[in-house]
Amino acid sequence: MSTSAANLACIGEPISWLRLETFAAGSPDASVDTHVAECPACRHCLEQLRADTVALPALVMPSSVKKAQRAWWKTAAPLLAAAAAAAVIFIVAKRPGGTHVVREDVAIVKGVGEVILGTVRERGGAIAEDAHTFAPGDRWKLVLTCPPADEVHTDVTVVELDTKPYPDRPLAPATIACGNRVVLPGAFTLTGAHANRVCVSFDATTQACVTIAPE
Amino acid sequence: MEPAPDPQSAYRAHGAALVRKAERILRNREDATDVVHALFVDLIPTWNPDVNLPYLYRAITNRCLNMVRDRGTRARLLEREGASAAPVGRVKLEDHVVGVGLIAALAERLDEGHMEVLVARFVDDMTQEEIAAHLGLSRKTIGKRLDRIRDEVISLRGQEVAG
Repeated sequence: MSTSAANLACIGEPISWLRLETFAAGSPDASVDTHVAECPACRHCLEQLRADTVALPALVMPSSVKKAQRAWWKTAAPLLAAAAAAAVIFIVAKRPGGTHVVREDVAIVKGVGEVILGTVRERGGAIAEDAHTFAPGDRWKLVLTCPPADEVHTDVTVVELDTKPYPDRPLAPATIACGNRVVLPGAFTLTGAHANRVCVSFDATTQACVTIAPE
Repeated sequence: MEPAPDPQSAYRAHGAALVRKAERILRNREDATDVVHALFVDLIPTWNPDVNLPYLYRAITNRCLNMVRDRGTRARLLEREGASAAPVGRVKLEDHVVGVGLIAALAERLDEGHMEVLVARFVDDMTQEEIAAHLGLSRKTIGKRLDRIRDEVISLRGQEVAG
């Protein structure tokens, strides 16, 4: 927007943005029509919002409604398959000499299965996925990958290691519909000279975490 | 504008308008997009088909004000505000276009009711009658709240000059 646009003055009482949005969406309003024809400031605002393009992230809907309409065997089949897979993993993990790798960014949530925590770092417009270092001014978002058709409750905590023992809660708790790298609502920044441990709790005992160190 | 029957329809119909509204408060499109997305994620489980754009406008105002009140988020918003384009200031408060800094300063002095009127008048450019209808209050109450807001701005300016 140019400086001259910023200094445009309305010829009378401005048409509110809500009325302009409603008008632009197709609701006829003769008083808006008349006013913008005469007022360069309000006309500019209307043209601005008509020309604007907003890239909205996908809104993933939980499938609980669909679940209720599905035949029982359609629900049971994946559950049985998941249970069988879990049993195989359990047996393999218990075998003598078997390796058991614990990943802190993966949680097994009761009723859902594997939930993987990922990060998205934005630095000066550049996006980095699953970065593990931060600098002042970086903007962070968290993403979860979990089996579609399920949903998880999330509560995010951030603890700056070696300093304060109590956690920050930069994002509001939310219930997320599962999918591939579903973005948790909100973003946050990390500060301080120590590593930050970012955890998403799914219930009282289950959480996935990532540790992000300063550069 | 008709209410949307489900969250997806509402998100498609009103999402862009709400992002623009949030951006006028936060002066930052990424945060504005986040706040709108988060609102709809929260609305999904308890969706009411009567939800319309004015209702969502109020919800976005409250969420943006919460972000500005949070000290960490506020610092980031203020840092980014300098890089954002100057908005069209059709309704000014004591000759100032209301930005993140002034909203943050006033949030320390005014309650939610006053802050909602501040945003409706000086960010959303609503008339007093429109604000009264939007918030379900009398025009007299809106007038009183605007007087209090102006008093606080004058007081703030006085402190800045004295400091």
